[in-house]
Amino acid sequence: MVEEAMFRVEGLRKSFGTIQVLDGVDLDLRAGSVTVLMGANGAGKSTLVRIVSGVYSRDAGTMTLAGRNYDPTTPAEAMRAGVVTVHQNINDGVVADLDVATNLMLDRLSGKGARWFFNRRRVYSEAREVADRMGLAFDLRANINELTLAERQMVAIARAMSREPQVLILDEPTSSLSSAEADRLFALVNRLKTRGVAILYISHRMSDIRRLSDKIVALRDGHISGVFEGPELDYEGAVNAMLGRRVGRGDLAVSEGGDTVFTTKNLQIAPGAKPFALNLRRGEVVAITGLVGVGKTVLAEILFGARKPISGEMRLNGRPYAPRSTHQAIGAGVFLVAKDRSDSGIVPDFNIYENVSLPFLRRFSPYSVSNRKAERLRARQQISELGIVCRTERDDMSTLSGGNQQKVMVARWMSQKAELLILDEPFQGVDIAARRDIGNKLRVSAGERATLVFLTEIDEAFEIADRILVMSEHTIVGEHRNSNVDVTQLLAEIAGQHKVTNLD
Amino acid sequence: MTISHRIRNRLGLGLVAVSLLSGTALAQDMPAPFNNPGDVEIALVRYLSTGDFFQAYLSGVETQAAALGVNLRVLDSRQDAALQADMVDQAIALGVDGIIIQHGLTESMKEAAQRAVDAGIKVVAFDVNVENQAVPQIEQSDRDLARLALEQAIKDNGESFRAGYVYVAGIAPLDRRDETWREFKEKYPGIEEVAQFGTMDNPIANSVANQARSVVTANPDITVMFAPYDEFAKGVKIAVDEAGLTSSVKIYSADISTSDIAAMREPGSAWVATAATNPAVVGEVSVRALAMMLAGEDPGASVIVPPTLITQADLLDKNITNMEELGSNLPQFAHADVATPDWMPLPEGRE
Amino acid sequence: MTETLATTPTARPRAPLNLRNVLIRYGFVTLLLGLIIFFSAMTRGFASPQSAVFVLQSVSITGILALGVTATLVVGGFDLSIGSVATTAMMASSYVMVVMGGDAVTATLACLAIGVVVGLINGVLIVYMRVPDLLATLGMMFLLVGLQRIPTEGRSIATGMSMPDGSVANGTFSPEFLALGRHRFDFFLPSLLPVSVVVLIALAVVIWFFLEHTRFGRMMYAVGSNERAAQLAGAPVNAYKIGAYVISGVFASIGGILLAARLGRGDIASGNNLLLDAVAAALIGFAVLGASKPNAFGTAIGALFVGVLLQGLTMMNAPYYTQDFVKGAVLVVALVFTFALSKRGKR
Repeated sequence: MVEEAMFRVEGLRKSFGTIQVLDGVDLDLRAGSVTVLMGANGAGKSTLVRIVSGVYSRDAGTMTLAGRNYDPTTPAEAMRAGVVTVHQNINDGVVADLDVATNLMLDRLSGKGARWFFNRRRVYSEAREVADRMGLAFDLRANINELTLAERQMVAIARAMSREPQVLILDEPTSSLSSAEADRLFALVNRLKTRGVAILYISHRMSDIRRLSDKIVALRDGHISGVFEGPELDYEGAVNAMLGRRVGRGDLAVSEGGDTVFTTKNLQIAPGAKPFALNLRRGEVVAITGLVGVGKTVLAEILFGARKPISGEMRLNGRPYAPRSTHQAIGAGVFLVAKDRSDSGIVPDFNIYENVSLPFLRRFSPYSVSNRKAERLRARQQISELGIVCRTERDDMSTLSGGNQQKVMVARWMSQKAELLILDEPFQGVDIAARRDIGNKLRVSAGERATLVFLTEIDEAFEIADRILVMSEHTIVGEHRNSNVDVTQLLAEIAGQHKVTNLD
Repeated sequence: MTISHRIRNRLGLGLVAVSLLSGTALAQDMPAPFNNPGDVEIALVRYLSTGDFFQAYLSGVETQAAALGVNLRVLDSRQDAALQADMVDQAIALGVDGIIIQHGLTESMKEAAQRAVDAGIKVVAFDVNVENQAVPQIEQSDRDLARLALEQAIKDNGESFRAGYVYVAGIAPLDRRDETWREFKEKYPGIEEVAQFGTMDNPIANSVANQARSVVTANPDITVMFAPYDEFAKGVKIAVDEAGLTSSVKIYSADISTSDIAAMREPGSAWVATAATNPAVVGEVSVRALAMMLAGEDPGASVIVPPTLITQADLLDKNITNMEELGSNLPQFAHADVATPDWMPLPEGRE
Repeated sequence: MTETLATTPTARPRAPLNLRNVLIRYGFVTLLLGLIIFFSAMTRGFASPQSAVFVLQSVSITGILALGVTATLVVGGFDLSIGSVATTAMMASSYVMVVMGGDAVTATLACLAIGVVVGLINGVLIVYMRVPDLLATLGMMFLLVGLQRIPTEGRSIATGMSMPDGSVANGTFSPEFLALGRHRFDFFLPSLLPVSVVVLIALAVVIWFFLEHTRFGRMMYAVGSNERAAQLAGAPVNAYKIGAYVISGVFASIGGILLAARLGRGDIASGNNLLLDAVAAALIGFAVLGASKPNAFGTAIGALFVGVLLQGLTMMNAPYYTQDFVKGAVLVVALVFTFALSKRGKR
C-alpha cells in the first residue's frame, strides 16, 4: 500500500444559502486503495462528490491531486486532470439513442485532439477493447435504450474506465445492479486497485462495503464523524459513526396473518415462464426477493393493472380480479408504491399534500370540486405518522431529501385503506433511518390489509417481512417464513436457477 | 416562335373547342398569329394568388384569353420568389409565345424576364418592375386611386379637417398611395394628420380594428379616416362603429369587394367612398397588351388601368349590392378602354 | 452541530421573502399596474371605463385562444393549430350563413363541431399515433389553412359573392350572430360590455375553476408534470391528453365565431398572428405570481398585459413594428422570469 495520499481534501466547506452542507471535511485517498464513504441521506455525500468532480465550487478548503493543487471549475476539467466520477443517476452516464460502442468511446470522440471524422470500424475495435477489459459481453451495436438499467450502469462505468483515471469516484454504483453484475463490478474495482487507481466508493450497502473497503470514512451532518482503517475494519463502529446511534436488527414478531385477501392461480407473467400461485393474507407482510430482471416489477405491475398477465386468474377477497387499468385496481383497493419514485411516483410540480392525495382525488372531491382543506388534513396526519421531515404539507417535493420523498410516496398509498398494498423496491435510495421508519410503519399498520414488498436486498426482506418468497425467471421458486431462515437455501434459490446468460 | 409538335398535338382538340366557344371576332379578322389563335399559348406566372383581388384578376385573364381564343397556362408560385423565377424558365422551356408576370420581386424576376425576352418570348408585367425596356408594365394607378379618394374627401369635408391615416410602409402599392397622401397634405395645409397607424397582422381587419379603436379613443375629434386599402377601411369601420362615432367619422379608402359594398351600404355607414380598379379589368388589359405585342404592335412602356370612384351614394342610388352589379351599373368600372386596337376581340358584354 | 438522530431535519427551509422572490411573485402584476398608470398619464382617454372595456375587447379573441392553449400546455403538450382552427371556424360560420342560408344556431354549432373534431384528431394523432405534439398540430394547421379555401376556391365569403359554380351566394349573416360581435350589455354605463368580453371573462373563470378547483384539472397538471406517475396513480392519461386538445379546439372555434361576428364576413386568413399572440399570452402567464407553470389566471393577465401595452402604444402613435418589438421583449422578460429566476425553473 502506498503511503502518500494520491488525492487529498482539507478543510472543505460549502453552504447553500444559510445551510452549511460541508463543514470542514478532510479526506485522503491513497493510490491502489478503496476508501468507502458512508453517510445517511443529507449528510453531504453528494455535495462532496460534486465539488470533487468539478460540478460545484467550494467555499473554502484545498484539494491536491498527486501533490499538485487541484482546482477544477468544470466537470470536463476534473476529468482531464484524472478525476472521474460515475454518478448515481445512470442516465447521466450514458447517451440514450446511441449504441454501446459510441457510448464507450464518447469522450475520445469529443475530447481534445479527437478525430474529425467518425470512423465506425475504428470506434468499434477500440470499444471492443474497452469492453473486453471490463468483461462486458454486450452487443456493441445495441442501442442504449434496449439495455436494462443495470446494463446501462455497466456501460457508464466502463466508459469512465476508458479514461484511465487516477481517481475514480463511484457514487452508489450497485444500487440497481444484480449481485452477479455487482460481482463483475467488484472484480473490476479490484483490477483498478492493482493498477494504482485511488477509488472513492460511496454506498449504503454493507455487503459492498464488507467486500471492498480498505478504509471507511463516515460523514455526518457535513463533517467527518469517523475514520476506520487497518486490517480489521470496525463496520459496526462505522455505521454508528454514520448514524450517530446504534442500528440493530429488530426482532420481528412473525405473524401468520389472518384471512386470505388475495390469491392467484396458474398465473403466468411472461411467455414461457412457469405459472405460479400466490396467497396473501391480511395482517401479513410478504416480501418477494430476487435479482434484478427476474420479473418482480412485471408482477407488481400485473397486480396493479398496469400490465396484463399471459394467463391465469387472480382473486381479491374471493371475487375474480382482473383490472384493466390502474384506475380499476385502485378502485378495488390494490395500491402500488412504484419503483423509482422520481420516474414513476413523484409529480414534481405538486407539493406534498397534492402528491399524497393524487390517486384519491375523487374521494376528496365532492361533485368533482376539490377540497384542499380535507387533502391537507389527511396529508398532515400522514406526515406525523410517518415522521416526514418538512415545514408544512405545502412544501415542494424538491425541498425534501430522498428518504423523505419516499416517505411521501408511501404516505400517498397509506392515506386510504388498502386491501392489498404493493411496494416495489421501497428502500431504493433511502437512508437507513428513513428505511426503518417506513418498515416500522408498514408492520404496525399491516393488520388492515395484505402487504406485498418487492426487494432485491435480502437484508431488507429480513428486516420487514413475515414471509419471504423468492423469484427467479418470472416465477416463484421458494418460500420461507422469516424465522430461522435457511439462508444458504435462500441464496441458492435466488442464484441457483439464474442463468448468467448475457454476462458470461 | 417554336411550338413543338408534341404540344400542338396534345392541345389540338381542346384548343379547337375553346376557339369555337369563345371569341366574338372571327379569327380571320385578326392579325397573325391570331388568325390561328389555337396555336398561340400564353403563360401567367403568379406570385400572389390567394385573396379576392387575385381571384378576380385571374378571371379577367381567363375571359380575355378565351375571347382571343388563345391557350392559357397558369403557373402559381404561391409567394415563393425563387419558384416564380423557375416557373418563368419552365414557361420558356414549354415554348409559350407570351408570358404575363403577375407580381413578384424585382430582384428575382429581372433576370428571369430577360431570359424570356432573349428566348424571343413577349413579356408583360403586372405590378412588378422587371427593369426591362422590352417589357411593358401593366399598372393600376395607385396614385390615381389615392387622388380620387382624397378629392372626394375634400369635396365632402372641405379643405381642412383632422384626419387619421392607416399606412404600413414597405408595401409598394401602399407606398405609392402614401406619396399622394403627402402631396395632398402639402397642398392643403388645413389637413391635420393627428394619428397614423396600421398593421398587416392577419386577419388584418381585426388587427386594424383594435388599433383604430385606440386611436379614436385618444382622438375623438378625428372626422376623416384615410384608409387606402379596403382591409384597413373595414377595420376602421368596425372600430368607429364600436366606439359609437359612426356619424362623426367618414372613411375614404381604395379597392373594393362584394363584402366592402355591403359594409358601405349599411345604413349610415361611415365608409363613404372608395376608389378602385376592377382587378378583372386589369387581368383583361394584361392579356390584351400581351396580344398587341404578339401581333407586332406596341402597347407602350406602361399600360395604366384607370380607377373608378365609387361612393356610398352611387351604391345606394343604383342599388348595387355586389361586384357584378357594380360592373353593370358603373360601366367605367366594368371596362377600361385600354389596349383595345380595332381587331381586339373583347369579352362578351364589354364595349 | 449537536448530537442528532439521523432522522433530524435535513430539509432546506423555504426561500425567505427576499427581493428576488418578491420580484418573481409580484413583478409582472406591478409592471402591469405601472403601465396602466403610465399610459393614463401620457394619453388622453386611456383611463376610462370604455377604454378598459376596449382593452379587454381587443384581447378577447386571442385571450380565448390562449386559455385553450393553456389546457394543452398543462398536460405537457402544445397546440399550434389554434389560429387556423379559429379562422376555419370563421369561414365555416360564414359559409353556413351566407352560402347555405343557415341561421345563427346552426353556424355556431358547426363551428363548435369543428373545434371538437380538430381537437379529437389532434389528440388521437398525438396519443395513439405517437406523433409529437408540435408536429401533429403543425400539420393540422397547414391542413386547415388549405381546407378553409376549398369550398370557395380561395375567395373570402360575403353576401353577394359569386361561387365557383357561377351562382351568387345570397344568404346573410343573421342579426343574432352579428350580435355576438356587436351587442353590448349595460354594465354601470349603458351599452358598455361587448359580448366578446363577457365570453372571455366567462371562459376564463370556467377554465380557471376547472384547472384549479376540480379533480380533472389537477389530474391534467399531474399528467403534464409526470405522465407515468399520473398513470400509476390511476389517471386515464390518454383521455386527459385528448381532452386537453378538445378544449383547445373548442376554445379556438369560439374565438373564430367571435371573429366572424365582429368582421361580418369570412376572411381567408392563416390565423398565425392569433396563434402567436395567444401563445405569448399563455407563456407570459407562466410568470404571473411566480407560478412557473401554465395557469388560467396567468394567461388572462398575460393577455391583458399585451392588450394594455398595444392600446397604450397605439394611443401614443407608436408604429406597428415597435409594438411587435415590445410584445417580443415582454415575452422574453416573462420567460426569463419563469426559467431563470424561479426556483422551479432551475431543475
